[in-house]
Amino acid sequence: MAVQQSNPFGKGDPRIISLKEPVAPTLKGARPPVEPPPLLKVEDLNTWFPIRKGIFARTVGYVKAVNGVSFTMQAGETLGVVGESGCGKSTLSRTILRLEKAHGGSVRFEGKDVFALRGKELQQYRRDMQVVFQDPHATLNPRHSVLDILTEGMLVHGLIKPAEAQDVAAQLLLDVGLQPDAMFRYPHAFSGGQRQRICIARALALKPKMIICDEAVSALDLSIRAQVLNLLMELKAKYGLAYLFITHDIGVVEHIADNIIVMFKGEIVERGPAEQVLLHPKEPYTQRLIAAVPRVGA
Amino acid sequence: MNEGSEMTHTPVSSSVAEAAAIRGPSAWRRLWSDWGTRLCIVAIALYTLTALYGEVVYRYYKGSLWEGAPAALTWAPDRTPPYNELHMESRYVPPLTRVEWPAHVLADGTAVPARTHRYWLGSDNLGRDVLQRLVQGARIAFHVGIMTSLIAIPLGVLLGCLGGYFGGKVDSFVVWLCATVSAMPGLLFILAIALIAGKGLFGIYLGIGLTTWVSVCRNIRAETLKHRDRAYVQAARVLGYSHLRILFRHILPNVMHIVLISFSIRFPASVATEVFISFLGIGVQGEPSWGIMINNARARLWQGIWWELTFVSLAIFLLVLIFNRLADALRDVFDPALRNR
Repeated sequence: MAVQQSNPFGKGDPRIISLKEPVAPTLKGARPPVEPPPLLKVEDLNTWFPIRKGIFARTVGYVKAVNGVSFTMQAGETLGVVGESGCGKSTLSRTILRLEKAHGGSVRFEGKDVFALRGKELQQYRRDMQVVFQDPHATLNPRHSVLDILTEGMLVHGLIKPAEAQDVAAQLLLDVGLQPDAMFRYPHAFSGGQRQRICIARALALKPKMIICDEAVSALDLSIRAQVLNLLMELKAKYGLAYLFITHDIGVVEHIADNIIVMFKGEIVERGPAEQVLLHPKEPYTQRLIAAVPRVGA
Repeated sequence: MNEGSEMTHTPVSSSVAEAAAIRGPSAWRRLWSDWGTRLCIVAIALYTLTALYGEVVYRYYKGSLWEGAPAALTWAPDRTPPYNELHMESRYVPPLTRVEWPAHVLADGTAVPARTHRYWLGSDNLGRDVLQRLVQGARIAFHVGIMTSLIAIPLGVLLGCLGGYFGGKVDSFVVWLCATVSAMPGLLFILAIALIAGKGLFGIYLGIGLTTWVSVCRNIRAETLKHRDRAYVQAARVLGYSHLRILFRHILPNVMHIVLISFSIRFPASVATEVFISFLGIGVQGEPSWGIMINNARARLWQGIWWELTFVSLAIFLLVLIFNRLADALRDVFDPALRNR
């Protein structure tokens, strides 16, 4: 009854009302007044590696791999981080994942300081934030079957019971476009593209809100790369994932990123919506990166 | 959703059996397929059976299965064990000789009937059978090899894993400990421990075990260090696994081949050390070990009594050879880079 009353069309077929409901303007209208905390807020992040010299290992200086980097990401956003090899983009991702210690600055995930997380909160962060690494040959333990690889995380976090493992693994494999019986095999029985799908499935298993793709498609050849990118976009639409997409190849992000950050020597040199950065790059470094993308008929 | 889209649907062929086929033959199959390795395995099995036989003989003549066993498991053999029987009338008998021992009456009035005996590998300076002593030596060798490995390998694996995985202060401590232990002359250290623990096998186990874990530890540490920064370990951390789970469920299976290989290296090495310690006279007491036999035989080699020294040396040589050969084969089988896919 309440639905019918709030129906702006007044009278009519109830089926039409239910069809219209998901696109009701109230959903969009609710956003501006209450600003939710951004999914990820990185502020003035520094990851410096000390250079030690002498027998007492005195610190004589720092390699500033990530230097004063700030950005924010909203839920469901895809942010491309572009830069040449060694510009600090992987260190940035490793710092966000707490695999490296930050020298200064802060990372906030849903308003919580990531570096201060302990115990249960840290485990929750581990579930919400997943990663897909570059080399699909190194990221899967060669001695564990695909079933183990996919379900160990869920078992550790207590999301499923051991008896459910096979069903869940089968669903995950279908999600990433593999046959369910792949779960009984070991990683080396798969091609690079298939392994990357397994890595994606492993990341998806914990139902994360955000996945960091650290050069996730760089090691794949071009046709497989397109397939995996399409898969990532499908999963994003299905599960409302946010991606931090790190790549040295600006051509990879141009199709998928909402916003782009360009990094050079540990600092952000340019940022903005994808079209703006790609079509009207301001920095000469960005212009060079874009010019470096090979194009058919160029 | 994407079941429908053909492009992302990568077919993976079915059946688990086929998966096994792709994985390649098992480690055991690959070991067995090489005739040289097969020979080694057979030889090791023979050595083991010999040692077991020696153990049975030893227990039988000892009178009970273990010290303080219940009466049901105790018996009273009224003879010295054959490997310790003295026959002064048949000293220095060369191999394959058959001797006849006449009937005689012992001091306590027991009558011993006449016997014939063939010395397959000759007799020593007191008329004791070299073959039987050799079998008892194999028994001691296996005791030492297995016991010292049981002390050294768990110690080395644990310290190596912890040092390699955690790094920092833990690693510094492990490396310092390794360096300190290996800086001491090994034999001197073994002798000191053996003297403190008292003469006998226990001192030898402890002495050899506490000095030889260093090489195991170093190998395991280096291998763990290599795996620690591998992407699969990083992924495991991001998945929120505990350090212990990562260390023992993810890394240890990948460095386990080193444990197997180091066992096959440690085993003959500790046998060789035991031989040397017993040779020096602070090892095994009252039982024949290979070291004692060599020490015994060495004095009479110049008289042309070659058999005792020769057969003992041969037994040690073969044991070391086959174990090293097997270690080599194990390394090849477990090295993922050499594995045929």
